[in-house]
Amino acid sequence: MTLDRLPQGTLDLLILRTLAPAPRHGYAIARWIEDTTDDALAVEEGALYPALYRLQRRGWIHAEWARSELGKDIKVYELTADGRAELRKRSAGWTALVAAMTKVLKAR
Amino acid sequence: MSGRHPRPDPRPVAGSDDEIEFHVEMRTRRYVEAGLDPAEARAKTLARLGDIEAARTASRAIALDMGGSVTRSAWWPSLLQDTRFAVRVLRGAPLFTITALLTIGIGIGAATAVFSVVNAVLLRELPYPAATRLVVVWNSYEQAGLEHAAVSPEEFADLMAGAQAFDRMAAARPQATTLTGACGPGASCEPERLNTYIVSPNLFEMLGVNPVLGRGFTGADGGTGAARVVLLSDALWRRRFGEDPTIVGRSIALGGLTFEVVGVMPAGIQFPDEPIGYLKQRADAWIPRSWETVKDGRGNQYLAVLARLRPGASLGDARANLAVVAADFRIRFSDRYAPPQARWRLAVVSLRDEMFGDVRPALLLVFGAVGCVLLIACANVANLTVARGTRRRREMAVRSALGAGRGRLVQQLMIETLLLTGVGAGLGILIAEAGLRGALALNPGNIAGLDGARIDAVVLAFTAALAIVTGVIVGLVPALGQSQADPQSAMADGARGVGATAPRLHIRASLVVAEVALAVVVLIGAGLLIRSFVEMTRVPTGFSADGMMTAGIALPRAVYLPADKAIAFQRDLLSRLSALPGVTHASAVYPLPMSNDGWSGSIVIDGRDDLPGLPPAHAEYAVADPHYFETMRIPVIEGREFAATDGAGAPSVGIVDVEFAKQYWPGKSAIGQRVSPFGEPGVGPWTTIVGVVGHVRNAGARAAGEGQFYFSGLQKAEFGMTFVVRTTSGPVALAPAIRSAVRELDSNLPIASLEPMDQVVVRLTARERFNVAVLTIFGIVALTLAAIGLYGVLASLVSQRVREIGIRLALGARPTQVVRRVVAEGLGLAALGLVLGLASAAALSRVVETLLYAVAPVDPVTYGLIGAMIMGVSLLAAYWPARAVMNVDLVSVLRA
Repeated sequence: MTLDRLPQGTLDLLILRTLAPAPRHGYAIARWIEDTTDDALAVEEGALYPALYRLQRRGWIHAEWARSELGKDIKVYELTADGRAELRKRSAGWTALVAAMTKVLKAR
Repeated sequence: MSGRHPRPDPRPVAGSDDEIEFHVEMRTRRYVEAGLDPAEARAKTLARLGDIEAARTASRAIALDMGGSVTRSAWWPSLLQDTRFAVRVLRGAPLFTITALLTIGIGIGAATAVFSVVNAVLLRELPYPAATRLVVVWNSYEQAGLEHAAVSPEEFADLMAGAQAFDRMAAARPQATTLTGACGPGASCEPERLNTYIVSPNLFEMLGVNPVLGRGFTGADGGTGAARVVLLSDALWRRRFGEDPTIVGRSIALGGLTFEVVGVMPAGIQFPDEPIGYLKQRADAWIPRSWETVKDGRGNQYLAVLARLRPGASLGDARANLAVVAADFRIRFSDRYAPPQARWRLAVVSLRDEMFGDVRPALLLVFGAVGCVLLIACANVANLTVARGTRRRREMAVRSALGAGRGRLVQQLMIETLLLTGVGAGLGILIAEAGLRGALALNPGNIAGLDGARIDAVVLAFTAALAIVTGVIVGLVPALGQSQADPQSAMADGARGVGATAPRLHIRASLVVAEVALAVVVLIGAGLLIRSFVEMTRVPTGFSADGMMTAGIALPRAVYLPADKAIAFQRDLLSRLSALPGVTHASAVYPLPMSNDGWSGSIVIDGRDDLPGLPPAHAEYAVADPHYFETMRIPVIEGREFAATDGAGAPSVGIVDVEFAKQYWPGKSAIGQRVSPFGEPGVGPWTTIVGVVGHVRNAGARAAGEGQFYFSGLQKAEFGMTFVVRTTSGPVALAPAIRSAVRELDSNLPIASLEPMDQVVVRLTARERFNVAVLTIFGIVALTLAAIGLYGVLASLVSQRVREIGIRLALGARPTQVVRRVVAEGLGLAALGLVLGLASAAALSRVVETLLYAVAPVDPVTYGLIGAMIMGVSLLAAYWPARAVMNVDLVSVLRA
């Protein structure tokens, strides 16, 4: 199954979650989402980059420069303390929403 | 992944490009490794990335925005960028832009025009230094409603001696005269009627202004037998003497007498520069007289008395001081001032209040009306912007999704709005310029300083401030609502072309309610003034102005003294005028009724002197020639009117009006009674009353006026008579014949005024007419704008609910039911606005109270009519969009 549209705010949550274990660059984020979900979420990968800027501006992630696999300088993103807090908050909200939705959908 | 310590990103913009390139390269490699051919791999990668260009632009915009919030240098380019964008957006929506510009233009234009008037009339300074210490002193007869009555020279002398609160005092009386002969190169040498004032020699010293040429008056100039001297106004000096620098020392002829010019006053000084009570005309020249030495009857009150407060003395001190002087008057002249019924006192008013005072409520009312109109215009444009915002939400949502911050979006919208209000304000200035010209054309002539109203730097500054405030009001409401748009749902909605959400319509509905309420307030104001004006014009004047022509002629004393020469002139001119074709009656009078020229004073009644406790008799005076009452159609109620035989040598006769007769000879006939005008009690000489005539309301509806006493024009020579002619051929057609009749008698005699009597009457209510016209215009504008607002909201309500309406119709609702629902919704908003408006109008009723005549400020008729009018117009404004329901195409709506 693939979703043809991500619910609002999902992309932000995905990025935050992806960066939780380790700092990654943009492509690595896309790959991680792809692998973890078996490519079920059709993330329009171009949208990733404005989203990274947005999260940076909110102070949830920050960027550092690192040498890439291809030998060029590339930005690597890392969660900030605020970002971690936001991730905890959003995960809890999301889980609660899914639980509630599941109850509704299974109700007779 | 080197270095754990963050360092600032040195390449925020380029970075995203690199990242995306890197992304494309990596993924393409992966697909190729999986076995796809490179072209296919690249295509698949790009498909997966989606709109890279959009992503790049968005990243750049966010980076710019991030920079913008930190450094100033990024702010200015973003401002330029937004401005350019705003111009494009506005040009892309011409209907919106034009409507908004016109609305703002009208609102700001009206406000600017009115402000320029207020600026000229209310905010102006008097042209004298330390003018706050200048005051005017009047006799006040509360009983007779005369609170600013003139002062006699003898009273003035006592005031000068007794009033310690003043540094200096001066008195003045108007004296119309004729300037003949002398004139400068290139100037007209025709005889010219001048407004001169006979003033205390220290007047200008007291006002604090000095001549620019020559000298001022000295105390010696005012004495009897002193050489005749005159000070010229700058205007007369330029007009008549071509700015002749050698004018000082030359002689000019005024009223046939020779005066030496001693000086020229500076431009801008034409004391009285604004009306001071009955001193209305600006002066052309001044003649000195030491008024305190004149003895012509304590009751002969014709002076305006001005004074300068001593340093440190307040208006309150002056009032206290004058109370002491008044107490002394009551002891010394008990029968004149003491009777408690007269409620006589000495009143003191600041010169500024005297000059500007009574136009204030009217102008403030007009200003308030303009404020309401401007607010309505603001609400309307805000409304339009919100309505358009519904359509623009998608654009905004995209920008927001692309990372534009809320601040940046608000900035964008504010720039658009400020651009609108800026251009609108420019348009407004043009409208104001035209409106001002209209206002000056309507100029009642008795609003001091109105002709000085122009759009100057102060007014432009006000307009600019107004444009900014308007922009902020108009922009902020929708901008705040707009920037809250949540991108996801807006984009989803936008795709389907339906966008209004409940809170948005809520904002618009509140704006419409506010608009209707404001319009109601303005309309109530206009309605009350119209009702009051109608009431005023219904009050009988006491004579008939139809078909009457008037000609004011000032006879030069030097030529027409002794007085029988002036009387002979009157007889001659009257016989010529009577003989003109189309003329049925001709006579002459001073002062002309309702001409704002007033003359009143005390009058002694024979046999009433020994009735202590009664106020001194006081009357409006006039001089009338034979057949005057017949000519004016003023009824002769008892006795007779003046005849050709009531001349010099015949017994002194007078006529009183019914009011005078009722007041002083109640229950008795006035015929045969004796009076002594201006005289001292018990002295005489006596004048016998031969007739009682109807009362003439010289002040129009505003005041009933006092009882009236008429001298016979053939016995008391008056040099400033106005000739009145009743014609069957139309008054204006008679003007040339009157002119030539005067010229045949005296070719040197200018005609001071030549106008139909109904014009004179109209001029008396000119100020009310002006208020009514201005407020009616604003009322109509307010109503129209509010109706447009209501229409707009309902129209978009219908178009946004077209789907819901379609379903209703499909479910079997009849179109009329749906129409009724929409109309009811509109009327509901209008009714709410109406209630709020009526309540506000009632709360503000005190503001208009002083301007109303015979109409209560909360007048049920006006309130009812305006209510009905608002609901009627709202019904129209609501029905129109509702009718669109009838045309809903069911199939296409439901399929959408």
